[in-house]
Amino acid sequence: MLGLCGRRLLAVAATRGLPAASVRWESSSSRAVIAPSTLAGKRPSEPTLRWQEDPEPEDENLYEKNPDSHGYDKDPAVDVWNMRVVFFFGFSIVLVLGSTFVAYLPDYRMQEWARREAERLVKYREAHGLPLMESNCFDPSKIQLPEDED
Amino acid sequence: MLKYIIPTMMLMPLTWLSKNSMIWINTTLHSLLISLTSLLLLNQFGDNSLNFSLTFFSDSLSTPLLILTMWLLPLMLMASQHHLSKENLARKKLFISMLILLQLFLIMTFTATELIFFYIMFEATLVPTLIIITRWGNQTERLNAGLYFLFYTLAGSLPLLVALIYIQNTMGSLNFLILQYWVQPMPNSWSNTFMWLACMMAFMVKMPLYGLHLWLPKAHVEAPIAGSMVLAAILLKLGGYGMMRITLLLNPITNFMAYPFIMLSLWGMIMTSSICLRQTDLKSLIAYSSVSHMALVIVAILIQTPWSYMGATALMIAHGLTSSMLFCLANSNYERVHSRTMILARGLQTLLPLMAAWWLLASLTNLALPPSINLIGELFVVMSTFSWSNITIILMGLNMVITALYSLYMLITTQRGKHTHHINNILPSFTRENALMSLHMLPLLLLSLNPKIILGPLY
Repeated sequence: MLGLCGRRLLAVAATRGLPAASVRWESSSSRAVIAPSTLAGKRPSEPTLRWQEDPEPEDENLYEKNPDSHGYDKDPAVDVWNMRVVFFFGFSIVLVLGSTFVAYLPDYRMQEWARREAERLVKYREAHGLPLMESNCFDPSKIQLPEDED
Repeated sequence: MLKYIIPTMMLMPLTWLSKNSMIWINTTLHSLLISLTSLLLLNQFGDNSLNFSLTFFSDSLSTPLLILTMWLLPLMLMASQHHLSKENLARKKLFISMLILLQLFLIMTFTATELIFFYIMFEATLVPTLIIITRWGNQTERLNAGLYFLFYTLAGSLPLLVALIYIQNTMGSLNFLILQYWVQPMPNSWSNTFMWLACMMAFMVKMPLYGLHLWLPKAHVEAPIAGSMVLAAILLKLGGYGMMRITLLLNPITNFMAYPFIMLSLWGMIMTSSICLRQTDLKSLIAYSSVSHMALVIVAILIQTPWSYMGATALMIAHGLTSSMLFCLANSNYERVHSRTMILARGLQTLLPLMAAWWLLASLTNLALPPSINLIGELFVVMSTFSWSNITIILMGLNMVITALYSLYMLITTQRGKHTHHINNILPSFTRENALMSLHMLPLLLLSLNPKIILGPLY
């Protein structure tokens, strides 16, 4: 994969006459080889390989001027800073600190308290012989109904 | 609440006054910090909501939606950076201002106490979205798309305004916190039937319900990537959120009024899933998939059981992240090939293997693979609809099968197979794109470890 990308970038560089590899490198894991191009320095009269079949006139290849482009900006310095900002603030701060915050939320919506309270009430009611739950939500003797109007 | 509104408002001077090279860096940085502060909303009580003031409150339903909204702004900014790089500076800043304005209106919509304030903000979100679709969309169809989007939503929501004013006159207040306790059962009469329809149609159009969904494929397809992301992830959920709030006032006639809409949604989710199998346009496939998932949410909200509400909330959040990620993936294809046709850029796995990993994860979460939160949402909805009526399980099961079919179809068409010869020199994936995908996927995966925060107020 690395060889494939390397070879593609080398081909791009070669057709544009940019200085390409100056030493020969052979991959130990694949058969990829990057060798100094004999065309280095010599610009061909017409590029034999366009990098797009039907190029859009306004399409820009960010890797052309800056092979280490992260895709944010043409200017390499701004590009690197943008990448750093996204990774630091996005991952290191929000995702890491945020997940820690969420993981250590105290008793979200009082579920654990509800369980403890229920167990406590059941223990109390069983110990005192009271029914565990009554069907009336409120004490019926305390409800004052209006007079019957007939 | 001001701790979210004022920083979001201040993002606007930040864009306009930043140096040319720093606008994206500054806005992304500060919007990420705002999304960090949004997690403070998770301090929810078990029996009440977090009431900030008379105007703003947030309970366990609006909190996950708010966190999603605030998380999405930096992602939208990152996704738009490439296609806006050719624009002149004022237009870039205008685009970012539209996104920030939309974010502001959405925050205020989700936290509104007064239902009229909610309505005003609900309508206000239409304006920046319309501007984003019609000004920065890529094809001429965007004008038609904007028209459909605007007028469908407006036509649905004008009756809601009338209904809200009527409720204000009869109940005395539209403050949601008070209405919860003052609500009386709504007797069955013709005028109450129309009242029910008036309240619900706005949200049905927004969700969208199957018969009223025509605006969605147009708007999602023609919008630029940030527009598609915010439409799919948040604006659809406004409908679900509104429905969950307004059904409080509409009992008990919902029991029978909901039937036509449940039928439409049950049938519609199968129809739209089947339409997905026939799509050639990648974004259109994802748009119809959104309709299908939202139909599940509509069914869940209308049957009004505790489990279905939990499933609806979970499904809204899960779908927001998944659908936004799918649109970002489709956009990464579009930026290279300048076409949305699926078969035009196929076999991408050999060329862009890391992006293929993201495609795989997004497709797997889209088809609700366990243990993702998509599955939790769908499972809760399927279980509650089964207990509501046994026959629905056939339709739900069929929908899950077809969802799996089209998600895998999308994955296989774009990723597997021999790549076409004309794309063998597309650019490798940018760090920006990989970061964008992981910022979508990681919250989704982390939430499957701790789903209680997205299960809503009935958890």
